[in-house]
Parts: sequence; C-alpha cells; structure tokens
Amino acid sequence: MTHALAAPPAHGAAPGDHDYAVTGINSKKLGMWAFLASECLFFGALISTYLLYRTRGPVGQRPGDVYDIPYTSVSSFVLLMSSLTMVLALAAIQRGDHRRLRIWLLATALLGTVFIGGQVYEFTVFVHEGLNISSSVSATSFFVLTGFHGVHVTVGILWLLSLIGMSLRGLIPQERNLEIEIAGLYWHFVDIVWIIIFTVVYLVPN
Amino acid sequence: MEETAAATTEEVPESSEAPPAPESPGTPRAPGELEAVPGHEAPAAHDEHAHPSPLKYVLIAMILAIVTGIEVGLYYIEMPDTLLVAMLLGLAFIKFGMVAAYFMHLKFDGRLLRRLFVTGILLALAVYTVALLTMDVLLG
Repeated sequence: MTHALAAPPAHGAAPGDHDYAVTGINSKKLGMWAFLASECLFFGALISTYLLYRTRGPVGQRPGDVYDIPYTSVSSFVLLMSSLTMVLALAAIQRGDHRRLRIWLLATALLGTVFIGGQVYEFTVFVHEGLNISSSVSATSFFVLTGFHGVHVTVGILWLLSLIGMSLRGLIPQERNLEIEIAGLYWHFVDIVWIIIFTVVYLVPN
Repeated sequence: MEETAAATTEEVPESSEAPPAPESPGTPRAPGELEAVPGHEAPAAHDEHAHPSPLKYVLIAMILAIVTGIEVGLYYIEMPDTLLVAMLLGLAFIKFGMVAAYFMHLKFDGRLLRRLFVTGILLALAVYTVALLTMDVLLG
C-alpha cells in the first residue's frame, strides 16, 4: 500500500500534478466514471417513466404514431460514428499527433451537430403533425427523455470545441491527453445512452 | 488493495511532441514493472493493458454499424413481439458492451473503474425493474 502511495503518476498529467488518489487512478478520471455511474440512474429514471406512460394516461397522440424509423436510424448511425472519431482523436494525442487530434475532434463535434440538427428537425416535424410536449403524458415523457439526451450531446459539442481551442493554443500537450480521454468518456456515454433510447423507445413495439 | 499491490514507478515523457524513447530489449526491468503507455495514469497501480490500434477501432465501428443495421432490419420483419424485443435488447446490449469495453477502454483500464460503472448500471437496472414490475409495465 505504501508502495502505491509512493508511485508517481506516469501519464496523463504533468509532473507535479497532485490529481492522483491512493487508488493510483487520476481523480478527474475517477470522478468522471462516478458521474457516469450516477447518470445511469438519471437516464434510467427517464426511460422508465417513458415505458410507464407510453401506453397509459389520457387519450392523445402518442410518439409511436409519428416515428420515422429510417430517419432516426440514420441519426443513430451518425452518433455511433462520432464515437469512432472521438476515440481516434484520443489515439492521435496519445501518439503526439496534434493536427489529427484537432481534425478528429472537429469531426466528432460536426457529427454531434448533425445529430442535434436531426433531433431538432424531428421535433419540428412531430409538432407539425400535432404532437407536442403537452399532447399526452407519453409525449411529455418522450420529449423530456430525448430532450435531456440532446442537452447532453450539446454540452459535449461545446466541450469538444473548447478542447479544439485549447489545442490550437498549445494547452494540451501529449502528456495531458487525459483531458481528451475524460471528454471522450462523456461523449461515449452519451452514445451508449442513445443506443438504449433508440432500441427501447423507437424500435421496441408498444 | 489488489490494484495497488503491484505499484511501481514510471517516467513521464518530458516533451509533448516527442514520442517516448523505445526501450532496448535488454533493458532490465524490476519484477512486476509495467511498460509505460502514453495516456494512462499510473498503470502500475492497477491491471491496465495497451489500447487497441486505430484500425481495430475502425473494425469495431463497422461491427457496431452492422449490428445497428440488423436492429433496424428486425424492426420490419414480422415476428412475435416477445422474440423481437428479446433480439433487439440483446443487440443493444452487444453495442453497449462494445462501446464501453473498447471505446471507453473499460476492457483495458483498471478493475475499480469497471466495478464503479457496472455498479451504477446494476443499481439502475434493479431499481427501475422493480419499479416497473410493481406498476405492471414489464409483464403487461
């Protein structure tokens, strides 16, 4: 145990950084994983609420009546591919390739923006077809669930853009690649939440 | 405890641009000492392994895309709802697991992180499964 305490951080932090706990894991990374674990409960509550109300409550138009599965499938594919570009950005900074880091981060942000644009368009179409957040309890739970996910994606896009800016200013040297890894953990989590939402909300029949 | 037992020391690369100097095959290494991998925190403190190559990431993404295609295809095939739901959830679980294991590096990072995340998932599953069963949602 004392040996572990004496071990200096090897990578992902600048020399002299005090971000390492007795676990030997960077505190920021550990904190992000703890946050993501808590997010499982957050999104679990929203998904459960949708499952509870999707066929219940007063009669009204329900989201399942207006889904466009091919369109949402393409959106899902776009978000899935953004996870690939994100992990390629991490691989680039771990090699010390700053140019490719910025290219892949930008690609990830763009793919995220396409996904969000698609969600905004989908919501607009739903509203034009008469389904809004107050149409029914199931509509409310649908918009709250997918809306909160969209907010998470938007936060991720802003985070990625700030990382690109930091990289351009030379603030992310190779040994601080943990900054990219932590942002990547958040981004991938947003992706796997959508994997569940796409299956449970869109594909599973009522 | 087991994750800190094999702690050793490693050097941090001094330059951000220069790749880590290759180690000569004959360099002596202390028992239990691990090789330095850029982008990892104190790998000696837990059981880490090297990350996949970019090519492997692309292959994993292709598998994920194919599984997504299968999911969408199943949606249009006539079959009993129970079978459809089971297959869709199984494929979603595969995608979830692959992203978490390979893209989030849970397969390669320390056990503590894996346990932390799995605890969150299991807790959420347990709490909401019980809640939905209580409200007669899952079993109709």
